[in-house]
Amino acid sequence: MTYCYPDSPNPAVKNLNLILEEGEFVLTVGSSGSGKSSLARVMAGLIPDFYGGDLTGRVFYEGEDLRDTRRRLLCSGIGIVFQDPEKQLVMTSVEAEIAFGLENLGLPQPEMLRRLAEVMSFLGLSSLKQEFTANLSGGQKQKVALAAVLAMQPRLLILDEPTSQLDPMAAEELLNLVERLNKELGYTVLLIEQRLERCFHLADRLLLMEGGQIICDAPAAEAARWQAAHDRPFIPPVARLFALLRSQTIPLTVKDGRRALRGWLSTATRPPAPPAGEEMPQCRQGGERTCRQPAMLEARDLWFVYPNGREALKGISCRIGPGEFVVILGENAAGKTTFLKQAAGLLKPGRGSISVLGRQARTGNRSEPDRRLGYLSQNPNDYLFQETVEAELRFTLHNFGLDDQGAIENILLKTGLSCVRGANPRDLSGGERQRVALASVLVAGPELLLLDEPTRGLDYLLKAGLGALLQALNRQGLTIMMVTHDVEFAAEYAGRALMMFDGRIVSDGSARQVLGNSLFYAPQLARLFKGFRDDVLTMTEAVETMKNVLPGGELVHAGKPE
Amino acid sequence: MLESLCYEEKDALLHNTHPLVTLLFLAALCFQALLFTHPLYLLGVFSAGILTAVVSDAYGKCRPYLKLGLWVAGLLIAINALFVHAGQTVIWQGPDLPVLGRLDLHLEAVCYGAAMGVRLLILLLVFALYNAVVHPDKIMSLFSRLAFKSALILSLSTRMVPAIARELANVVEVQQMRGVRFGAGGLGERLRKYSWLLEVILTSSLEGALQVAESMQARAFGSGPRTHYQRFLLRRRDCIIGLLSLLALILALCVKARGYGDYTYYPQLGPLGSAPALIWLGLLMLSPLAVILMGWGWRRCLSWRSGM
Repeated sequence: MTYCYPDSPNPAVKNLNLILEEGEFVLTVGSSGSGKSSLARVMAGLIPDFYGGDLTGRVFYEGEDLRDTRRRLLCSGIGIVFQDPEKQLVMTSVEAEIAFGLENLGLPQPEMLRRLAEVMSFLGLSSLKQEFTANLSGGQKQKVALAAVLAMQPRLLILDEPTSQLDPMAAEELLNLVERLNKELGYTVLLIEQRLERCFHLADRLLLMEGGQIICDAPAAEAARWQAAHDRPFIPPVARLFALLRSQTIPLTVKDGRRALRGWLSTATRPPAPPAGEEMPQCRQGGERTCRQPAMLEARDLWFVYPNGREALKGISCRIGPGEFVVILGENAAGKTTFLKQAAGLLKPGRGSISVLGRQARTGNRSEPDRRLGYLSQNPNDYLFQETVEAELRFTLHNFGLDDQGAIENILLKTGLSCVRGANPRDLSGGERQRVALASVLVAGPELLLLDEPTRGLDYLLKAGLGALLQALNRQGLTIMMVTHDVEFAAEYAGRALMMFDGRIVSDGSARQVLGNSLFYAPQLARLFKGFRDDVLTMTEAVETMKNVLPGGELVHAGKPE
Repeated sequence: MLESLCYEEKDALLHNTHPLVTLLFLAALCFQALLFTHPLYLLGVFSAGILTAVVSDAYGKCRPYLKLGLWVAGLLIAINALFVHAGQTVIWQGPDLPVLGRLDLHLEAVCYGAAMGVRLLILLLVFALYNAVVHPDKIMSLFSRLAFKSALILSLSTRMVPAIARELANVVEVQQMRGVRFGAGGLGERLRKYSWLLEVILTSSLEGALQVAESMQARAFGSGPRTHYQRFLLRRRDCIIGLLSLLALILALCVKARGYGDYTYYPQLGPLGSAPALIWLGLLMLSPLAVILMGWGWRRCLSWRSGM
């Protein structure tokens, strides 16, 4: 099968042959633009019906060509859940939303009622029956979208990055539901996903796509080994470590990984880890240098209450020195974004004070935009409205009354956007859009960069690119403060971590201490090595540790229980 | 402020009644207010409305409307009293003004103004009650069977409003941080800055619209004749309230036909209550009182509730 979008000479999917067996759980991975979503849309019958374009080859569902299948039959056989929960709900109440597809199928009232009752009970949505869909949380919205599809009782369920816009807890809950659908109800599942730590082990098969083709189609462990050998990144850290060390068996979960490690690492050999907060946090990265220099950001007993009465910040005190790379972690509604907005001057403190780059928020002199302060929000689309990428950057310079003097060229080069400088930003992929938004902030030459969940929805490659870029900027002196849920990213790139809970900072120290000592916010490798080597956080450290332990640096017998 | 006036889920009778029946009940109140001019009848309907609001736990939401209504009613009485001189009973002799003429106050004009004020209060109260006890979504769902496409567009727009409001706030923040000073510059410049916001929102919304359409296509929208999911149960209480409301409408027409609901204000106030007029009023009040009683029982007697 080959497919080209209208007006595009290059095929999005190329010479593809694929069979999905009934009851299989197939995980599809690949970088953005590799053809995963196009494949999903072809299988759901949306290509070419909805998108147009040129499709050659044939797609069969239960032996029948999709082109000859009536749409009503197709929709009741194959269901698809999309990425953005906000953009797939059409009705105002949860109940009406779930009934929408059933009404479209022309089902009688008793049948609709039965299906609605079943799906709501299964997904635990009964209490939200009458709720206004716009008031639901992202996780609840995505659950409703899943329910709306499940009510149509498809045999094949396609999920196109359903967790990319969700926080880790909601993502976990959704993936658990998908697992139950596959294991308990026998649904055939095709899941496209970036959060591999949570779903890699669920898959019977893994498809790796690149350039519109499937370059690897194998069971998860095999695929991990293949990817490690061919230097592809779409493997969760535990599997990656064992694949890198050429283990005979590849554990896919922390539990299996720890079992495999037990033979080679004794818990008795672990070095003691200092508790978080023991060292002076503000001195952490720059050492003496940061302590003596004035703070980039200093909050003293900062309180904030939203107009609806929610107390979002409760006495935050913290100092961030120049050159630090700080991540703020914590559950939803812990106050992370509120703190970031306080730092950006978008919110005024209720009580206490916060000074950023030597300017106090309290006195109101921060209402004027400051080019030294860069802010990247969660949604890069909020930035993009100019005709070209270059114009977006020029727009920021113009607002601050700055001359170009090579800044645009320099930033385009740093962010790798030189080749698309003349393109309309809205025509670019998600990862590129984000880089354009970041470039439009960086072009003003900020000294402090505030980022709100910049890794949301990015694949492994894009994340690695973003991490490397931020690290390089940090080395050049840019102070970075970033809100994130992504502990793997934080462990890899950040120097210092603040953990927030219920409007307070509950842990502050080096990323190594905070993440290493945490149970739930620890990266997968830290959880793997916890008790064996508490100082392991990143892949490089894990590989080094194992190479020191193993003869010849290879885990030749890994996987055998002790 | 706005939230305090909108619908809120409550454990009260009218909140848990079939929306069509609630509409019928409120329409009956409204109809009576428009039909009658007799002050006792108007006061009766007003009292029924107030009691309904109290037993429906909606009085708090109606109060702002009533406050506003009282001011307007006062204004109505004042204007009527000052400018209508059709009555014969002078209660205060005013000065002789150059353009307006003699500024006398007549009892008839004051009473007529007061009656119209009560009528206005009833209409406002019914509107407030509608907002407080009927979920807009239920009404939309009710009419979606008749005009599905219009209802769908309305539903999509309703969903979009909070999403766009949130996005607008984000875009303003983002552009502020990019150095846009929305408050600075002349009117033309400011308009240009706000047009940027519109551009971002419009582009994002158009992109979003495609995704919504795709999701609808994937759920078989437009694949053939569709059925309508019936969300609401028709319970015993719905039938009772519906019948009572219909009865109230029929009785109101009877009262009007016999002329008891009318009252003579000018040139002199007519007699306030003849025996048949009061009997008819009593009959007319029976149906709202029954609903009020049911509403009261709903909150106090759970076994009564299960029986309804």
